Amino acid sequence: MLSLNNLGVLCISQALQHSPKLLAVRQCLSKASSRATLCNNSITFSSKGTRRHTGFRLLNANTVKHVGSLQRTFCTVSVKLHCWNCGQSVEQTPAFFCLSCNFVQPPDEGASYFLIMECDQTFALDTQRLQKTYLKLQRSLHPDNFSQKTAKEQEYSEYQSALVNKAYRTLLKPLSRGLYMLELNGMGIEEGTDAGADPLFLMELMEINQALDEARSKEESAKIGASMKEKLKDLTEQIDGSLHKGELQAAKALLAKMKYFANIEEKVKEKLSELM
Amino acid sequence: MAGLVAKKCITPLVVMRRITSPEYTVQAAYHKKVVDHYENPRNVGSLDKTSKNVGTGLVGAPACGDVMKLQIEVDDQGKIVDARFKTFGCGSAIASSSLVTEWVKGKSINEALTIKNTDIAKELSLPPVKLHCSMLAEDAIKAALNDYRLKQQDGKIEAVKVSN
Repeated sequence: MLSLNNLGVLCISQALQHSPKLLAVRQCLSKASSRATLCNNSITFSSKGTRRHTGFRLLNANTVKHVGSLQRTFCTVSVKLHCWNCGQSVEQTPAFFCLSCNFVQPPDEGASYFLIMECDQTFALDTQRLQKTYLKLQRSLHPDNFSQKTAKEQEYSEYQSALVNKAYRTLLKPLSRGLYMLELNGMGIEEGTDAGADPLFLMELMEINQALDEARSKEESAKIGASMKEKLKDLTEQIDGSLHKGELQAAKALLAKMKYFANIEEKVKEKLSELM
Repeated sequence: MAGLVAKKCITPLVVMRRITSPEYTVQAAYHKKVVDHYENPRNVGSLDKTSKNVGTGLVGAPACGDVMKLQIEVDDQGKIVDARFKTFGCGSAIASSSLVTEWVKGKSINEALTIKNTDIAKELSLPPVKLHCSMLAEDAIKAALNDYRLKQQDGKIEAVKVSN
């Protein structure tokens, strides 16, 4: 298990790599040498104790000098970070650059995507503004700007840039945004069958899927695509309402429905490109 | 079905054929049994839902958005004589449900109830990330058997009413 010396933990699971939205996990990418003080490790995941549990292994990844023990539960310790270059304290969250020496900092694992992208933590989001923020951040963080800098700076800029990419992609689409918000509240959609699913709803899904399968012309496929867009728009509004009121269970059910329709919308796009 | 098969299978097939070194084939490829079920689908279709001898199981997996329909036709001796499936989802989900329809044919109701997701996963060599697909298939067959049982019970109640 975990030895006292190696307390940096990297949670690896194939399921997690492929389906990050199923389990809420933040990969801890801390490098020991860069941190003089305590490292901020926040790892959250919910494991299902049933037979549907997909096993995951905890591996020791790097040598972080840790004081005290690390538990495999929620652990967000707010910690005073210092710039690895000049030693000045880094107060702001998220910290991209040191305010004193302007050197790029390693990514802040504790920061939510909303914080990183300078957005309020609401489901309703101005995607234009999000895109502007994304471009602004990448202009300063992208590894291309660091090609002449030290290896460490290049490494940090890569991590930061990748994190900004991930944050942007997650927040851009309503489905991933909603699922991420559930994650932040400790909820996720479980793998496996939904025992309480409405049979009529499933029947409707089968029929739509079948219709798309049998569609031979672009017009037919586009028609299905349009109806999916309508449904998704409607669901987005409903989810916004539920999340606004803090009704997480209702939002979860709606997001599940959204997933089905989003899948069909994807298939419509594929079909249309095939029929081109 | 061919259309559904052809397009979706290209990427994993390409991955499988291009990467020939042993350490890669295990990780990157769909197992050939899964690909087989994909390319040579068996028992795709529907049975008459309204028939008293047909049990229909309809299940969905919200996390990945897969939907699966599995139908069985049972004769008067309680033996499954036909099975059909329709699955909209990933290759592993399609293969799992296809395999189940193959397995249940010729089995009795009770024998079919013993089919476990672990058997399906083992047969298809499903990786951990796809284990839920085999679970979905198990739930689908159980739902179909349950539906058939309910129909039979309703049928018996009807018969009792008529005779009274």
